[in-house]
Amino acid sequence: MKRRNFIQKSSAAAALLTVGGLGLESFAKKTSKQITILHTNDTHSHIEPFDINHHNYPNMGGVARRATLVENIRKENPNTLLLDAGDIFQGTPYFNYYGGEIEFKLMSMLKYDAATIGNHDFDNGIDGLYAQLPNAKFDFVSSNYNFKNTVLDTHVKPYKIFNKSDIKIGVFGIGIELKGLVDNKLYKETKYLNPVEIAQDMSRILKEDEQCDLIICLSHLGYHYTEKHSKIDDLTLASKTKNIDLIIGGHTHTFLPKPTVTKNSAGENVLVNQVGCYGLNVGRVDFHFDSDKNITSKGKSIIV
Amino acid sequence: MKNFILSFFAISLLFSCKNEPNKLVKIEGKLLPITKETESVKEIEDYIAPFKKKVESEMSSVLSYTPVDLVRTDALNESSLGNLMADLCYERANPVFKSRTGKNIDFALFNFGGIRAGITKGNIKTENAFNLMPFENTLVVAELSSEKIVELCNFLIKANTAHPLSKQVKLVATKSGYTFTINNKKIDKTKTYFVLTSDYLQNGGDNMVFFKNPIKLHKLDYKVRNAIIDYLKETDTVKVKLDGRFIMK
Repeated sequence: MKRRNFIQKSSAAAALLTVGGLGLESFAKKTSKQITILHTNDTHSHIEPFDINHHNYPNMGGVARRATLVENIRKENPNTLLLDAGDIFQGTPYFNYYGGEIEFKLMSMLKYDAATIGNHDFDNGIDGLYAQLPNAKFDFVSSNYNFKNTVLDTHVKPYKIFNKSDIKIGVFGIGIELKGLVDNKLYKETKYLNPVEIAQDMSRILKEDEQCDLIICLSHLGYHYTEKHSKIDDLTLASKTKNIDLIIGGHTHTFLPKPTVTKNSAGENVLVNQVGCYGLNVGRVDFHFDSDKNITSKGKSIIV
Repeated sequence: MKNFILSFFAISLLFSCKNEPNKLVKIEGKLLPITKETESVKEIEDYIAPFKKKVESEMSSVLSYTPVDLVRTDALNESSLGNLMADLCYERANPVFKSRTGKNIDFALFNFGGIRAGITKGNIKTENAFNLMPFENTLVVAELSSEKIVELCNFLIKANTAHPLSKQVKLVATKSGYTFTINNKKIDKTKTYFVLTSDYLQNGGDNMVFFKNPIKLHKLDYKVRNAIIDYLKETDTVKVKLDGRFIMK
């Protein structure tokens, strides 16, 4: 009892001793931080807005407009990441004429932070993708494609960690099975590994080894397939993994009006989002962190 | 000793202060559409401009002319655009195939869904070829057994759709059966057939499973779109007709 008393006094004294130092101020001030994730998928070489007479998307989209939107949000919150879930290539003559150079250069101008690889990104072959990499000032992440025996070996990372105001954000990539979808002569010796097993490994590495506060999966698997397809999709991936906070999807060109909230293998909430295609939309997910126990004790709220 | 304890606590206190954990307390998600209300960044527009000029001039170059609208919906089991596509692909691909194998392609089959846009009457531009065939699909020739050809017939009859077929074929289906000829000859059970299609369909795309596991697969390394462009370039005026190559009675 006496000992405890002493400790309390000592710590009080110690705290007083550090007045004016770096410790006390940060202690008194409860920190709240916000991480903003912006994302696109399946932009498919859509550089310009759709024609004003287009039957589906009149005057929508456009990279120069996307740049304004991203710039404004970055001004509002510098702790912003801009991500893409693949299929950057193919869909307009810009790709056929310039092979993806413009797409990557524009994404670099918009300061994309990371992207994963979609099946159409192999449309000019793995060599075509490799040739355009110098134009990308951002990293490609893919954890379930083994590029060991290809030109992409060492050029694509399984994951990347971003540090924004002391919040560690781990971003890893998952790709779709290429066999039957892409001609073998295009992807060559790229090996496809089981997305669920790899995602389980990745989330464990990012959570336990790397101590990430936030884990994001960039997936090109597709949002959802009916059972007869027996193909792995984002909703299944979410249910069979844990510690992933957000799955940013692509491939199925699914227009989700808001992120889907679903449960992971530990019964916790995961968000799955996908914003259609062609750069018509940007998805935005804000993660609010707090150190105030009065706030954190109330748990996590999700507003979608 | 007392000093040591004091400083120890001071340090540990400082340490715990600095590492006060940040916990995720709230997540908000929303969709941000890119509309005309969003202004463009001029620097980006300026970067795009020269590429845009080049692409637009390429796309607007005139390749050919059509006196009528070419669409995929002007008959039930064939179409003017589908017939054109199948016939021109055959015409472009057969010399390539013959030079490599010494044999002729028997006929061509593509899918209705693969015709991505019609062509309005008037000049046909490069842009039309891109809209018609935006994908990088390449031409392949699958060598099929006569059993697979029967499967193909049954597929077409069941689908009852204007899947593009080339003119070498005549398929007439009635309630009681069907007749199918290739170059006016009935299916010969002792023969194998060379069928031109795209790599996408050969892989089982659009449920054309009869293309899977052919006796032999010949990849022509010739893109469907390039075949279309090459054909249009050498054709002054496109002539198409509905000739009843597939009829359901």
